[in-house]
Amino acid sequence: MRLEMGTFPVTDITFGRATRYDAGRLTVDCDAVLAAVRQDPRIASAELEIAKPGESVRIWPVRDVIEPRIKVEGPGVCYPGICGREIATVGEGRTHRLAGMGVVEVSSVNWHDAGGDFVETYLDMSGHYGEMYPYQKLLHLCLVVEPDSTLNEEVKNYAVHKAALTVADQLGEAVRALAPPEYQIFELTPVDPKLPKVIYIWCVHSPQAMSGSPSAFCTATYGLTQLTPPWYLHPNEILDGALTGPYRTAFAMSWTVANNPLLLDLYRRHGRDWNFLGVISLRTEWTTQTEKQLMANQTAKLAQQLGADGAVVTWDAGGNEFIEVVRSIQACERLGIKTVFLTSEDDATDGAPTMLEPLPEADAIVSTSFFKNVTLAVPEAPAVARVIGLPTKIVRRGSTIGLHGGVDGAALPTAGPLPPPWRYDDHYGFTSLSCIE
Amino acid sequence: MISAIYNFALTTGANRVIRGARIEHVCGDPTLSAEKDYAFGMRIVTTALQTLTIAVPGPTLFDPMASGKEAAHAS
Repeated sequence: MRLEMGTFPVTDITFGRATRYDAGRLTVDCDAVLAAVRQDPRIASAELEIAKPGESVRIWPVRDVIEPRIKVEGPGVCYPGICGREIATVGEGRTHRLAGMGVVEVSSVNWHDAGGDFVETYLDMSGHYGEMYPYQKLLHLCLVVEPDSTLNEEVKNYAVHKAALTVADQLGEAVRALAPPEYQIFELTPVDPKLPKVIYIWCVHSPQAMSGSPSAFCTATYGLTQLTPPWYLHPNEILDGALTGPYRTAFAMSWTVANNPLLLDLYRRHGRDWNFLGVISLRTEWTTQTEKQLMANQTAKLAQQLGADGAVVTWDAGGNEFIEVVRSIQACERLGIKTVFLTSEDDATDGAPTMLEPLPEADAIVSTSFFKNVTLAVPEAPAVARVIGLPTKIVRRGSTIGLHGGVDGAALPTAGPLPPPWRYDDHYGFTSLSCIE
Repeated sequence: MISAIYNFALTTGANRVIRGARIEHVCGDPTLSAEKDYAFGMRIVTTALQTLTIAVPGPTLFDPMASGKEAAHAS
């Protein structure tokens, strides 16, 4: 599987009469892009706004950040399967991407209506809070979109995310026929057989148990979000968006998955330091101990059958999902596969373990910090000059969230000082944050 | 403590851990008839109450579906 990736760096975004890319400058025909979005009758309102790094701008609510990618040659479409897009296997041929920018999906639509799983992320384009996000450094085209209020939550999710992908597609079309300024070939070529074989075990949350629906919106594999046995994916499929979409914490967005530095480093050093075998994507939040152990066993078995000598493991969630993740590490180690775990840590308040189930086999761990903003003592984000999105934000407080000193559920002006969301996780090591001594 | 993901209860030091059904329905099973669901839940809760009369050396797992007998010690 060979993928040519053409990169078009974006250094400025403006609105203009035609959507086009010229030497880093992206001009967007606002009316034409919105007309494409409004073709879907489920969309009640849609507007576009531009946000740039360093501006006193707050974007709220941020449901997703998408890097525009478009298939130029080869089967399928980028971000396949999600919101009804075609499901041909991707990863072959040529893809063009607009780098250094994101399409931000801004909407009041919540992930699902089962409760307790709220969109909390807002993005400040300047200031300390947004500095913790890789997205603060990007240029953004924000789609502020609301669906028909009479639709159910799943259809609303489908409609607003499809709308954001439509915007990304419209931008991608502008570079379809252009020669890319930067160009890279991704291929898992045969390498020195003496090099160690390394697999990436990429654990991805499923919302099925929490939402009660097998098709609730979340990070999707070719559009599927339900609990499924482990998938074996070629990294090129992921570069074409076969694993995509947001999870509730800010560090699991479509942009993050497509730009995962761990995946790219594993690829970059293929043939030099190791033989990169690809990705096993394990769905998490199975709801019995037996299922969790079964998935761990099958993940390790698959890694063994692929010939892995070593594995790198990441996850994107918290809580009970730790069981299938850490048990996969244990199962790999027991099969002789050396395993490294990249993870954030839990809050050690009141003597609780920083890992829910510490196992002796998980003996090589890279910490990406504690991510409760109270633990990190992240101060309130200051007032901003401009808001993109909703004028108020509900701030949830309580002992589990760790935010105190105000009324739980109060709607505060988005433009005013705001507490940061209670947590977020740097699942893939974008920043230099590490453990707290 | 009744728990579907009983390892957490064991590793965090709960002395008597009773195996529950699923995270979504720890003491029940919506696929059963109302009558059988009630009996299923009663079996779990009754096992939990019975374990209070049993001395344990440390975190210990009890499985209601194994006649309420002690199933395993935490290692």
